[in-house]
Amino acid sequence: MANPLRSYLTCIRNTLEAAMCLQNFPCQEVERHNKPEVELKTSPELLLNPVLICRNEAEKCLIETSINSLRISIKVKQSDELENILTKKFLRFLSMRAEAFQVLRRKPVQGYDVSFLITNYHCEDMHKHKLIDFIVQFMEDIDKEISELKISVNTRGRLVATEFLKQFI
Amino acid sequence: MAAVSIHQFAQCITCHAWSPDQTMVAICPNNSEVHIYKLMQEKWEKIHILRKHDQIISGIDWSAKSNKIVTVSHDRNSYVWNQESSEWEPTLVILRLNRAALCVQWSPQENKFAVGSGAKTVCICYYEQENNWWVSKLIRKKHNSSVTSVAWHPNNILLATTSTDGKCRVFTTFIRGVDSRGSGTGLPYDSKFGEQIMQLDLSSSWAFAVRWSPSGSTLAYAGHNSMIYFVDEVGPSPSAQSVSFRDLPLRDVLFVSEKMVIGVGFDCNPLLFMADDMGTWSFVRFLDERKITPLNSKYGSQFSEAFGKFYSQSKHGIGNESVEPSKPRGGAHENCINCILPLRKESDTTVKRFSTSGLDGKIVIWELHDQ
Repeated sequence: MANPLRSYLTCIRNTLEAAMCLQNFPCQEVERHNKPEVELKTSPELLLNPVLICRNEAEKCLIETSINSLRISIKVKQSDELENILTKKFLRFLSMRAEAFQVLRRKPVQGYDVSFLITNYHCEDMHKHKLIDFIVQFMEDIDKEISELKISVNTRGRLVATEFLKQFI
Repeated sequence: MAAVSIHQFAQCITCHAWSPDQTMVAICPNNSEVHIYKLMQEKWEKIHILRKHDQIISGIDWSAKSNKIVTVSHDRNSYVWNQESSEWEPTLVILRLNRAALCVQWSPQENKFAVGSGAKTVCICYYEQENNWWVSKLIRKKHNSSVTSVAWHPNNILLATTSTDGKCRVFTTFIRGVDSRGSGTGLPYDSKFGEQIMQLDLSSSWAFAVRWSPSGSTLAYAGHNSMIYFVDEVGPSPSAQSVSFRDLPLRDVLFVSEKMVIGVGFDCNPLLFMADDMGTWSFVRFLDERKITPLNSKYGSQFSEAFGKFYSQSKHGIGNESVEPSKPRGGAHENCINCILPLRKESDTTVKRFSTSGLDGKIVIWELHDQ
């Protein structure tokens, strides 16, 4: 199936497969610390080049890698005002429950809608292929979820308007 | 060539080391303890727990002749453990580090050991009789980033290091009073402590896992860009070969013989590299035969699959656009392999058996058949 979404997701999957080579690495700058280097960015030699995968202007995915952590930032397609507000509300709802997802970052990176932070500890506890599946599944589902929400908002809007205007007949 | 035995010791193993007679194994289960297991009646029994560190242990090495264990940890300390009667007694090592220690190795003569650290230094430690502790001499200001791996040349003087600035370096570590000058080392250099003999800048990314060949004539190290480098004629004019492979990067390498190297890493499957008669290195094959599980094509499963597809379509109202989930690897290891060690019997000249440990908490013993 020559599906553009599919090739976009396959590209992300393959990039994640190669990027998720993380190991335990203590901080070089601060004594007895062990922090995700991709967040601190204190030693430039510990960071790899970030990869940006774009499907179009509105849909893109930024993968930043360091020696012990990986950050994936996703911009979800928003074609109109309604989708914009739905995405914002929905992802805010998820981000507030970030600890339930373990790899979800509480605040998205500037310019993106949702960010994931994967550290070497996640790779130790969980299977790598399951982690990648989760990210790809999430990206797949978020579009469906938003369009479903949009349809239900529109349906409800129409219903309410009809009911409301009935009284004037 | 296959995995002979697989043992699940813990949730996650960061490093392991074998006792000289290979009846005991010391592992770090990804915390601040070292567990020592002994093989008793076909079963591995935990016989000792070494508790002294307070952060994760990053390196263990068990000396073959003197039966001492050295451990280094992210808490900046190192201990040398001596077996006295049935207990293991720790001796403090004054590392003088202010960052985590990352790797450790005994020198071939076992009078020194080297510790690589996150402080961008290497410590060469030796025993001081009068104070009853191990003191260290530091190689400072030579590395631009953390030292990820150290390896001793068989002559007990040369030390190779790799670091996350992507370079591999070779130093002399002559210590007055510990090493005797001209003891068959064949060094043409006026060896001073901490002198850099060679610096290789082959890798564009982090370098890991430096090892010398048994004779010390070849040096191998791995880069994070899925490359392995082989260096001959270590000295002022080295000759190097870079071998790239298509799989994920390596984390540790082992010289089985002068012409054969096994690399392990994020691919969860050991890779075999060999040199031909001309001395050209190349990737040969994977060691672990992957079991590709064929899909069960029974009627029932096919039906439920079709039903599932239909169901998901009806639910979402769109065609099935999902990307197939990646399959788990059907190999001996399920997560990154980060340590490979030879299992050498005294009579053997080449390594026939070796063990690997990984983040999946398994130790796998492999046997090499004659090639």
